[in-house]
Amino acid sequence: MYDIVIIGSGITGSSIARQLSKYKLRIAVIDKASELPAGASRANSSMIHGGFDDKPGTMKAKFCVPGNKLWHRLKDTLDVHLDECGSYVCAFNDDEVRHLEVLLQQGKANGSPGVEIISGDKMREKEPNVSPGIVAALWSPEAGIINNFEAVNAMIESAQINGAELHLETVATGLITEGGNVRGVSTSKGDFLAPIVINAGGVHSGEIASWAGDTSFRIIPTKGEYFLLDRSTGGTITSFLFSCPSKAGKGVTVLRTAEGNLMAGPTATEQLDPEDRSTTPEGLAEVLKGARRLVPNFPVNMNITTFAGVRANTESGDFEISALKTPRGFVNVAGIKSPGFTSAPAIAEYIAELLQEEFADLATFAPNEKFIPEHRNIPRFLYMDMAGRKALAENDPAYAQIVCRCETVTEGQVLEAIRRGARTVSAVKMMTRAGTGRCQGGFCCPRVAEILSRELGIPLDQITRHGGESRLLVGKTKEFLLKGAV
Amino acid sequence: MSERIDVLIIGAGPAGVAAGIGARREGAERVVVLERDWDLGGILQQCIHPGFGLRTFKEELTGPEYMHRFIQQAHEAGVEFRTNTMVFQIDRENNTVWTMNKERGIEALNPSAIVLTMGCRERPLGAIRIPGTRPAGIYTAGTAQRFVNMEGYMPGKRAVILGSGDIGLIMARRMIWEGASVEGVYEVMSWPGGLRRNIAQCLDDYGIPFHLKTTVTRIHGQDRLEGVTVAQVDDYMTPIAGTERYVECDTLLLAIGLIPENELSRMAGVDIHPVTGGPVVNDLLQTSNPAIFAAGNVVIVYDLVDNVSDEGLIAGANAAKFAAGKITSAMRIPVKGGENVRLYSPQFVTGEADSTIFMRVTHPVETACRVFAVTDDGTELYSQRLRYARPGEMNEVRIKADKVKASPNISNITIDIQPV
Amino acid sequence: MSEERKFICVSCPLGCGLTVTLDDAGEVVSVEGNTCARGASYARSEVKDPRRVFASTVRVKGGKLPVCPVRSKTPAPKGKLFDITRAVAALEVEAPVKIGQVLIHNVCGTDADIVASRDLEAV
Repeated sequence: MYDIVIIGSGITGSSIARQLSKYKLRIAVIDKASELPAGASRANSSMIHGGFDDKPGTMKAKFCVPGNKLWHRLKDTLDVHLDECGSYVCAFNDDEVRHLEVLLQQGKANGSPGVEIISGDKMREKEPNVSPGIVAALWSPEAGIINNFEAVNAMIESAQINGAELHLETVATGLITEGGNVRGVSTSKGDFLAPIVINAGGVHSGEIASWAGDTSFRIIPTKGEYFLLDRSTGGTITSFLFSCPSKAGKGVTVLRTAEGNLMAGPTATEQLDPEDRSTTPEGLAEVLKGARRLVPNFPVNMNITTFAGVRANTESGDFEISALKTPRGFVNVAGIKSPGFTSAPAIAEYIAELLQEEFADLATFAPNEKFIPEHRNIPRFLYMDMAGRKALAENDPAYAQIVCRCETVTEGQVLEAIRRGARTVSAVKMMTRAGTGRCQGGFCCPRVAEILSRELGIPLDQITRHGGESRLLVGKTKEFLLKGAV
Repeated sequence: MSERIDVLIIGAGPAGVAAGIGARREGAERVVVLERDWDLGGILQQCIHPGFGLRTFKEELTGPEYMHRFIQQAHEAGVEFRTNTMVFQIDRENNTVWTMNKERGIEALNPSAIVLTMGCRERPLGAIRIPGTRPAGIYTAGTAQRFVNMEGYMPGKRAVILGSGDIGLIMARRMIWEGASVEGVYEVMSWPGGLRRNIAQCLDDYGIPFHLKTTVTRIHGQDRLEGVTVAQVDDYMTPIAGTERYVECDTLLLAIGLIPENELSRMAGVDIHPVTGGPVVNDLLQTSNPAIFAAGNVVIVYDLVDNVSDEGLIAGANAAKFAAGKITSAMRIPVKGGENVRLYSPQFVTGEADSTIFMRVTHPVETACRVFAVTDDGTELYSQRLRYARPGEMNEVRIKADKVKASPNISNITIDIQPV
Repeated sequence: MSEERKFICVSCPLGCGLTVTLDDAGEVVSVEGNTCARGASYARSEVKDPRRVFASTVRVKGGKLPVCPVRSKTPAPKGKLFDITRAVAALEVEAPVKIGQVLIHNVCGTDADIVASRDLEAV
């Protein structure tokens, strides 16, 4: 029996879980994934938006600027990489310059600090590799780029430290109600009973809402494809570059990730399947074209991977956040897409207030005096000074053993990730960056798999890439021959 | 100050072990080879097939056998090895080498000379941007080789191989010999990436189809790979509509090229050649940092391990000379590649000793041709007739030191291969 | 009727294209395309008694690695290679293993021995 069950542990669900763990509540977060982040929080532009892009009066406008401010604080509290690099919206012609004016006014109305329009030449003083065709740009100094893998894991770990439970590989299958009241969620791992259920189901949030009889909105799964380049390309630009948006989305952006990789994307392709994260020739071509428009010498030959995410677009274009009248206790935090990552901590604060206003009779919101706001990330050997590295290695020799040579990740970090719940190769990757570098796990994947096998006491051929049936290996050598399976 | 080391060698693969031998034979007192693995020998320990060392030992050895002989020689020569020791940083100001080891912790070494012998790595899937999903079951051929030959595990039962580099061809046969099936080898170019004998003995012997000008255009499967779409490509390597075909498989092995591994070289501030991807070196195998030498696949990807060992011996010997103050000269006469030269190394010739320039052609020449080196004043330094020249097979240009010394005014040397 | 057979020499990395002419009795009349004596003898062997060096691993108990690389010391008849894969698969040896150590004599009735191709210490 819980007070609150949260479906989905993306940035929205995990931020809400952490915020609610400031109260003495029994909280369960369930997610069908084997590792975090999984859905839209895993594959996106990892942008902390400045807050000029959203129409005043919308939910997005309401949460984006406050969310941005919260992240600038949370980055230290949660120990998450946030590159406070600012962003540019680039205009190539008069029409686009007029669009910058609109954005500037929106930014001012939304309270986005420091937004201004600068000339293309002024922009090129700071970003010499951008197109000479850019005539003006909207500069947003408060925008930033976050390490989204770290952010989601930090958020959910912080919630767990403060008492929330995380249940992975737990598929929500239905809502349990009784007499117009929520009683819990049925899942692949049994019923999770609670009087309050929060739908933070991302691309599945429309379907989950329909369990509660709410069909007022529909999720339009929208694929975004990306290129990720070698870290040595990070000097090409130092901030986040937007194209002027079109109806389809914000247009292709080029950015330098918090870890220093050049990245470009996304596309915005509507599709029926919320789980189709395959890249396409058309999508990749579109991204490349858009990237080259912003950065003519975009060094695509240094590409190390392509990927796609599916975001939860809505017909209204806005977030769908509401507490239903019936069944009572059901709360939608649905349709969270860009600027969802930015907004998440602000949405979480809002939800905590909303629950106390609406459902004070369903749960007791007594402050958790033992709440620990601080979270420490797994030590990041790559970024430490030599004295720090030596101290770490002296304390634990596992930190004197490199596992991933591209990103200088030590065995100590991998062991710590496993201690914090990593069960798959890609969970280790997202928690430590082992395998995110230029060889894309060619060197470290077997080593990470061996460590997982050893630490978890699971045979090597049962270790998966990302859960489910994604086993890395199919058996031992000689087995096919001895079984006569030629 | 840290302990005294005359020559420090990074990596105990074929180049590093030979460099150790070369340095000791040249008289360096303390020669230390660092190896990140528990075992010496580098990648050759997983190359368990025969085909190594015919030139050096007059017989074809397996990778482990080849390394066994060199490691014995190194021990006899008094080379010191430190295993489980990884170099993770080189400071360019003072050539300090930072190492880590579970027993010794983190240490700084300040050798008189350094030899870079880190080898190369495989191009990953991302380098060729194939659309589709990202399931388990996609490996570079070398990663799969490690699983099969060192760990004793099978990556899959039914493989497709993309690219026809030698490791891919060797792995095709290796999978067959473990009872798996190989659906085909697909090569985007119109010529094979690996040796013709490997196509004969690894593919033809087992009836594995080999498709030139064909590539994988899509990856299918959510958790585990379920299949790939393959298609023929035109002369611009663009897939030809209508030629797509679905091939069911649970494993995709990539043999799409090797890249010299130079992260440490970059940290050390040595100049990297934009085409080879390895350090710019002269024929002493000295980099732009005079105290740092480099040899083997870290410089340029060789076809034959015999060449890697030879270059290791040269680099080790010259590093020893440098440590003893016997050589200082950095780069000297620049070498230029002619029309049909894709890449070559070394890029400078000093004339202090006879040297070999290794090169690859851009386009195959299937008729009689000539590989040559000529100076800017028209002096021919080398000329050799060939029956053919192919991108997959390196060519050698041998330069005699006395010929270079005899023309003191040359300002550059051009190498090329042209039909005769 | 004489017969002509074409194949690639696998004796060395050069990979010469060989053409072997056989007479009615199946005897080699001529070998062309080779650039060395090894090529000529390979060509003769390939048409009469094709052989390959076999290389694989065997399972090891108590070794530093779970498998040890092995090879046929000499080339084995090509037609027996699949029998050899199964014979080698069935074998499990105890560490330590010494390079050159004979693990199977005259494997599958051929005249080839299966030998270890590296030293493998016990743990």
